[in-house]
Amino acid sequence: MKKLLKNDAFQTLIASLLCIVVGLFLGFIVLLFINPSGAASSIVEVIKNFMHFSSGKLRLKNLGNTLVKTAPLLMCSLSVLFAYKVGLFNIGAAGQYVVGSAVSLYCALALHLNWLLCILLAFVAGAIYAAIVGVLKALCNVNEVISGIMLNWIALYGANTILSNVKEPTSPYTLHITGESPSSLIPSLGLDKLFNNNSYVTIAIPLAIIIAIVILVLLNKTKLGYELKATGNNKNAAKYAGMAEKRNIILTLMISGALAALGGAFLYLSDYEQWSCSQSSVPGMGFNGIAAAFLGGLNPIGSILSSYFIQHITNGGAYVDLTKYSSQISDLISSIIIYLCGFVFFLKYAISSRLEKSEEKRARKAIADHEKGGEE
Amino acid sequence: MLLLLQYTIIFASVLLLVALGGCFSEHSGVINLGLEGIMVIGSLGGALVMRFFPGLPPFVMVIAVILGAILFGVAYSCLLGVAAINFKADQTIVGTAMNMLATAAATVFVKAMNTAANPNDVSASIQYIEPKKSFLIKIGGFEFNWFMLVAIVGLVVAYVVLYKTRFGLRLMACGEHPQAADSVGINVYKMRWAGVLISGVYGGLGGICYIMVSASEWKFDAGVYGFGFLALAVMIFGQWKPTRIALTALLFGLFRALASVYSGIGFLARLNIPSTVYNMLPYIISLVVLALTSKSSRAPKAEGIPYDKGQR
Amino acid sequence: MDQQYAIEMLNITKRFPGIIANDNITLQLKKGEIHALLGENGAGKSTLMSVLFGLYQPEEGVIKKDGVEVHIKDPNDANRLGIGMVHQHFKLVECFTVLDNIILGVEPNKAGFLQKGEARAKVMALSEKYGLHVDPDALIEDITVGMQQRTEILKMLYRDNEILIFDEPTAVLTPQEIDELMVIMKNLAAEGKSILFISHKLAEIMAVADRCTVLRRGKYIGTVETKSTTAEALSAMMVGRNVNFHVEKKPSKPGDVILDVKNMTVASKGHKKNAVNDVSFKVRRGEIVCIAGIDGNGQTELVYGLTGLEPLSGGTIELCGKDITKAPIRRRSTGGMSHIPEDRHKHGLVLDYTLEDNMVLQRYFEPEFTKMGFLRRKNIRAYAERLIEQYDVRSGQGPVTMARAMSGGNQQKAIIAREIDKNPDLLVAVQPTRGLDVGAIEYIHKQLVAQRDAGKAVLLVSLELDEVMDVPDRILVMYEGEIVGQLDPKKTTQEELGLYMAGAKRDEVIS
Repeated sequence: MKKLLKNDAFQTLIASLLCIVVGLFLGFIVLLFINPSGAASSIVEVIKNFMHFSSGKLRLKNLGNTLVKTAPLLMCSLSVLFAYKVGLFNIGAAGQYVVGSAVSLYCALALHLNWLLCILLAFVAGAIYAAIVGVLKALCNVNEVISGIMLNWIALYGANTILSNVKEPTSPYTLHITGESPSSLIPSLGLDKLFNNNSYVTIAIPLAIIIAIVILVLLNKTKLGYELKATGNNKNAAKYAGMAEKRNIILTLMISGALAALGGAFLYLSDYEQWSCSQSSVPGMGFNGIAAAFLGGLNPIGSILSSYFIQHITNGGAYVDLTKYSSQISDLISSIIIYLCGFVFFLKYAISSRLEKSEEKRARKAIADHEKGGEE
Repeated sequence: MLLLLQYTIIFASVLLLVALGGCFSEHSGVINLGLEGIMVIGSLGGALVMRFFPGLPPFVMVIAVILGAILFGVAYSCLLGVAAINFKADQTIVGTAMNMLATAAATVFVKAMNTAANPNDVSASIQYIEPKKSFLIKIGGFEFNWFMLVAIVGLVVAYVVLYKTRFGLRLMACGEHPQAADSVGINVYKMRWAGVLISGVYGGLGGICYIMVSASEWKFDAGVYGFGFLALAVMIFGQWKPTRIALTALLFGLFRALASVYSGIGFLARLNIPSTVYNMLPYIISLVVLALTSKSSRAPKAEGIPYDKGQR
Repeated sequence: MDQQYAIEMLNITKRFPGIIANDNITLQLKKGEIHALLGENGAGKSTLMSVLFGLYQPEEGVIKKDGVEVHIKDPNDANRLGIGMVHQHFKLVECFTVLDNIILGVEPNKAGFLQKGEARAKVMALSEKYGLHVDPDALIEDITVGMQQRTEILKMLYRDNEILIFDEPTAVLTPQEIDELMVIMKNLAAEGKSILFISHKLAEIMAVADRCTVLRRGKYIGTVETKSTTAEALSAMMVGRNVNFHVEKKPSKPGDVILDVKNMTVASKGHKKNAVNDVSFKVRRGEIVCIAGIDGNGQTELVYGLTGLEPLSGGTIELCGKDITKAPIRRRSTGGMSHIPEDRHKHGLVLDYTLEDNMVLQRYFEPEFTKMGFLRRKNIRAYAERLIEQYDVRSGQGPVTMARAMSGGNQQKAIIAREIDKNPDLLVAVQPTRGLDVGAIEYIHKQLVAQRDAGKAVLLVSLELDEVMDVPDRILVMYEGEIVGQLDPKKTTQEELGLYMAGAKRDEVIS
């Protein structure tokens, strides 16, 4: 048991589960506070999500819907995670996601490009957009959180303007890709069949998981990962060791931005949602990515699980008793979870130092016993 | 032109108040990225006063709204204090979480409140057309807003407290060199708590001021449009000094005001620049300003580093 | 009853996880005396003083003030008892004025508003009385280290402290400033203040202290009158054996020029004056050249310029005949330069990397350790194990130990192993023995000499006078960014060296 407790991955798991439990519990308290009569059943609905339905087919279809939105969330969480491993807090992932969404939609609806090309252009655009944060950070020492936020808003206004060209005449929403340019849709290669013909289920989902594994390998097994993590841990030492630490900062943010932008492309090129050109706040996907990254213990595999979880409760929010509560209760729970994630390091530290102390005690006792034995 | 001046001053007041909040927090050694969230919750506090006591006499109304905003802002800033000071949490994560939490919590709360009052009302907005009038005094063509005075008082108080009092000296010592402060018997944790709570006061004030000058009805699911972060940019460009922050706030206020009134100014309207550009302008300007000033920044030396009495 | 002792620390024991920092230590400070506390790094001096200052609570033992037992729970208690301390690393707020730093914590005020007038008058009077000559309105960041130290002394005097603790006060001063400090300390003692003087420098203790208490590895060794002992005897008490301070080495046989620096100029970050101004020198194969000087006279920037951490604003550098003035750090490293950095935590190590990952920090990109962009973990492990074995680097879990979890001495050994094993032509070693105990210092000095004897060029930068006098074959003294003298360690004296270091003497140096 002790050995297990000492294991870092296990500690992370415990901490994350604790965050989830406390987050859900606090969410429940809020519901109770608003209206005690339906609180219990509503929080259960949040946890049940697609299990809300009794028919297996509907459940499958709705599981598919959750997965469709998990893929972009996973990309955003990988984006945040990757940058964080290199010591950068990429809150700009939200804006890079917007750029990816806008570019992919524009390429699809206005230029009728093939889906792969749309994705690639989104990827490049996200990288370039994030490079602004990188350059400002590396060359001008601008705090990446503040510049990231500024760029989020700039991206939002920009996206609304550009996509107004491809919106439906009577609503603020962009046109459906299915009608305008079917070749721009990410193919599903039969995956839709698995989810009761949910046509939104595409290869974006397995692709996102593969990318998570690539990121894992990149960080842990490669020279580039070694360099980037060294830069993140100690940028002075990285410079001393002849690594181009400024280039590494920019490169990291470019990769991070490209990942977030892919998230945007993955969602909008499935035609599951249309962009509203009148939206006045930055989509929460990028911010939820932060929650998923930390909840996943800053590990790409952990991110897969945590992204699913966050999306699961977000979708579940739609099933609460809307006459009493609002679906944003899920956002509330996710944000409580991120807040709690701030304490994770403290928690892990507390577990470790407790273990150390008890070991210390035992070691000291052993030495004392030994000395006594020697005297006899 | 007078309108532009009026908008500039009022937006500058918002930025000034919030930036001063950040200034106190950072001088004590805690980076407050949660100012945006504090603004949202502070504005909620003020809006609730207006919603539930719409009939207060004008002067009482002003005081009550201000107190409501301060109370909520301070209470919310405790989330940062507990995490960053007592639990040594990562201040960036906590600040980010606070921003998200504020919008989510305000939305859930206001929606619940609206739905309870009227089952068909699922909006997350509070309207305050009437009470808002208590804050305005027409002086010729210029509309004076009590918050302009609040901002000026806030500035004077900040300046005096930071530079003329024992408290200010101690606060800044904690942000620059907490070990030095500790060695002369100053309780670093207490001072940092004070810094964070004061940022709650200013942040809350800035929040209510912001929503009241922007509209007569606020949708709480929209947050405060990155104004908390603009204020941080103002603070950085102001080099953590109240007087410089005030001047910077005026500059930023001007650009924000342009977005509101450009169509009414002849030559700007004739330029035919799309409104998007004006909307983006404050953010772009702040990026440029940050790029120019961050290199030689004189941020408090110990900001962002949790203080641990054990580590010497 | 009149008490002879101002402070008594009786049978103090303080344990930390895994170590007994103070084991039954007794220290008695007479009124009006200067009492030295002698011991190596890690002997327990700092811990003992932290106990006295209320920063730590001892597990056993009592503290008495004027014969009465007292409990000191925090620095405020110490302060109320009239105990003040000049810490080794000054506790001064750099962007505050001298006056603000002095009054911080005991500010004269009316209803919370500062009343600096009376404080200023008191500070000026004290400054006058003890000959401290400080300007109360200067910013700390603008004044010299010596002046900063005087600010710390004034902080204690302003609080009317009777017991003054000086923690390694001479480490940052020039020999001349040290002499002035000695005079100040004697003045203070003459005025009835009791002084505890922590040091590991025997000459200073012999010069200024009345009595001396010696600690070794957390244990109390003894207290002696300085009048009736010798430096050698104290030294033996301190280390437990007669140490050979002198580094054994054969005469050097300088060969080809490896490093040729011409007119190097490095701009300063904070000031208008250049940090390094028009410096030229050469280092040859088979010699150790030492850059000596008081901290902050441009040595750090000189090394930064040399190794590529900072760009030059003028001049050229040649390494093995190749111009590397504008070369990036990586090219200098692969071109034959190794660098043992001044600050091992800032530059030398990635603390959250394992020991093995730190061992390849300068070589991870070589084909031995990287293939097609992937790390060759097996080879890295084997390489790290060899270095650990060969250089006796000790750690909890061998190659997978986190660098953060290692002791300072072993961290330094790891860096030295890494840098020497690169087989460089030029080894730049900056304060390689800082903060280490005698054993580790001896080891490192031997390694430097061995490198020299193997035909490498060694450039040593040191602040320690003993090291400067013993290790190198040639000394270059830096003062305010310029090389002001070249000395032969065999022919010069510490006094002469001190004059150069303080800028009181300078030659035109042609290397």
